[in-house]
Amino acid sequence: MSRIDGSLALQDVVKRFGNTEVVHGVSFDVADGEFVVFVGPSGCGKSTLLRMICGLESVTEGEVRIGGERVNDLPAARRGLALVFQSYALYPHMSVYQNMAFGLENLGMPKTEIQARVGEAARMLRLEEYLQRKPTALSGGQRQRVAIGRAIVREPRIFLFDEPLSNLDAELRVGMRAELVDLHRRLGTTMIYVTHDQVEAMTMADKIVVLRAGRVEQVGLPLELYNNPCNRFVAGFIGSPRMNFLEGRVVDGVIELPGLGVVRTRARLPAGGTPISIGIRPEHIHAGHQADNNLTGAVAGVEQLGGLSYVRLAGPDITIQIPGQTRLAAGAATPIHFPAGAIHVFDADGLTLPRQTP
Amino acid sequence: MIGTIASQAAGRLYAAVMNLPERPMRWAQGHLPDGRLGWLFVGPNLAIFAVFTFLPIIVDFYYAGTGGTNLLPTERPWVGLENFASLLACKDYFEPNSCVRDQFWYAIWNTVKFVALQVALMLAFSLVTALVLNRKIIGRGFFRAAFFYPVLLSPVVVALIWKWVLQRDGVLNAAFVGAGLQPVEWLLSARSAFGWTVFVSIWAHMGFYTLILLAGLQAIPADIYEAAAMDAAPPLRVFRRITLPLLMPSVLVVLVLGLIRAVQIFDEVYVLTGGGPGSATTYLVEFIYNTGFSAQVRQYGLAAAASLLLAGVLLVLTLIQLRGMRAKGSSRG
Ligand SMILES: Nc1ncnc2c1ncn2[C@@H]1O[C@H](COP(=O)(O)OP(=O)(O)OP(=O)(O)O)[C@@H](O)[C@H]1O
Ligand SMILES: [Mg+2]
Repeated sequence: MSRIDGSLALQDVVKRFGNTEVVHGVSFDVADGEFVVFVGPSGCGKSTLLRMICGLESVTEGEVRIGGERVNDLPAARRGLALVFQSYALYPHMSVYQNMAFGLENLGMPKTEIQARVGEAARMLRLEEYLQRKPTALSGGQRQRVAIGRAIVREPRIFLFDEPLSNLDAELRVGMRAELVDLHRRLGTTMIYVTHDQVEAMTMADKIVVLRAGRVEQVGLPLELYNNPCNRFVAGFIGSPRMNFLEGRVVDGVIELPGLGVVRTRARLPAGGTPISIGIRPEHIHAGHQADNNLTGAVAGVEQLGGLSYVRLAGPDITIQIPGQTRLAAGAATPIHFPAGAIHVFDADGLTLPRQTP
Repeated sequence: MIGTIASQAAGRLYAAVMNLPERPMRWAQGHLPDGRLGWLFVGPNLAIFAVFTFLPIIVDFYYAGTGGTNLLPTERPWVGLENFASLLACKDYFEPNSCVRDQFWYAIWNTVKFVALQVALMLAFSLVTALVLNRKIIGRGFFRAAFFYPVLLSPVVVALIWKWVLQRDGVLNAAFVGAGLQPVEWLLSARSAFGWTVFVSIWAHMGFYTLILLAGLQAIPADIYEAAAMDAAPPLRVFRRITLPLLMPSVLVVLVLGLIRAVQIFDEVYVLTGGGPGSATTYLVEFIYNTGFSAQVRQYGLAAAASLLLAGVLLVLTLIQLRGMRAKGSSRG
């Protein structure tokens, strides 16, 4: 079976509501069959971007191409996409079956074909028992699955999801996450998934687009973003608990952290005296001193998760992750070591400084 | 100096007034058994209700069972169900001339015709108006106010406005004459007078129902329409399959409220046409009014009996409405 091309390209897309510009020239490509996650803090324009792609919102400037074809002026109905709303947006007066069949009826599809498709989707999503129920008589997770079913039956070129799991409890969310990834593997259709939860992004995505305030900060594979964030924002946004940042200055080829000591890094440092900041993830900090890059902090608080522990230090204000359980108590002076290879260095504008080539 | 004294005095006075109920309330709280304090608050209202609503209802029942033309209850002979019997005595209910009380049956059939036409047209007009006003049109706020404005007018004012337009030397005929046409006796032909009573009552009340429907439309979440757009539903289908079903509870409210008020039609028509020409626009309430209060022979008993029959009809309609509202409430909750 030859599928329709589900690739997507955005080029210098700008969105203005009246005089307020909320998306400032966004460009990226999505290959056919990819699972792409848009991630970014609340209000950064994720939903706006998604709504422009599916045609519910007009594109002020720039170009949206689906399957190589410019769709800026194509109405939502004719783009062949399916959107799963954050609020589900199920038709409250229709049964689950009717909710899923409505879009197919609009296409003038024969009844038997509709029944076959809805039946297939209901089986896949384990909704068979609920087909005659109204959405109000369903749990949050079931409603979610109906919303997904409504998208599946139309066999769209691209699935779009706008924070589909944010209304579910934590346990259900983890379950649905796996189901969506599984669904993607089975259908092989392009999926674009919006979330502000970087854990969802890391666990589900083939490719992540990090957005901030209407701009693309970085596009890349999940681990690429984790290992080589291109700026301080991405470094802080990807990873949990978030990266620790310390302010400092370049002195004689090393970085002086005022009041804390000096650290060596692998970054190509600018001239002496330049203000600079470093970042290091909690899981990369070692407890105990080694040859160099040593600091000492006082314990301000401990979170024991059983399998691992997070220790919050005061002055330097950082969090470290310790495998297993710890006996550290508040107030204890704790020696720590920053491995040089794990330190990210950012210039005054927050851009990552490149590593030295060995 | 004087200012501070004045403001202090004002403060004292305010406190004194606000503290006035303190003593009686304390007394009441101390002396009334638990849970009875509420009666104290609804008491005054209840008294007014009793005198001006409950008492007349009882009096109405009594009068409906008595005959004669004397207003004094003690001077009225008891006739039992005779008034009802004479109202309902008919060879053929569809032929008012064959009835003992032909005016009553003319009024009933006029009212039926009026209610059917007025409610159907009003529902259609207010639905269309609400749909238009729910879109992002220019001057939406102005139009919403303009359509609601007649609702604020007293019925007599409404009737006088339209009388001024429709009478022989009125505004409409002036326009006709200005355009070189013959003036028309709008209110002196049975058909046109009937038509105008329907029109004027729609004009006067439509805004209220439009408002109910508009509120119902705005309660439909926008994302459902976006889902329908993604589902490629054409506009007419969106209306039939989504807007209309979700608006149905509001439509039901409009339908029943409109029915109740149409059955009760009186003041606008009374001032506009006086029930004429002949009895072409005499509706039920006007028949009751004429029979009891304006005819040469004042048949209070007959009027009371007719008003009880009308009350029965309204009671049925109200019960239907209450059921509808309850169904709506439970489906939302
Ligand atoms: N219709 C609108 N008119 C004006 N401004 C809007 C409109 N819709 C969105 N915005 C603005 O655009 C910006 C981006 O909104 P958007 O809904 O895309 O954010 P988001 O990234 O989806 O946030 P969240 O994670 O909270 O859903 C916000 O600052 C918002 O205030
Ligand atoms: Mg959003």
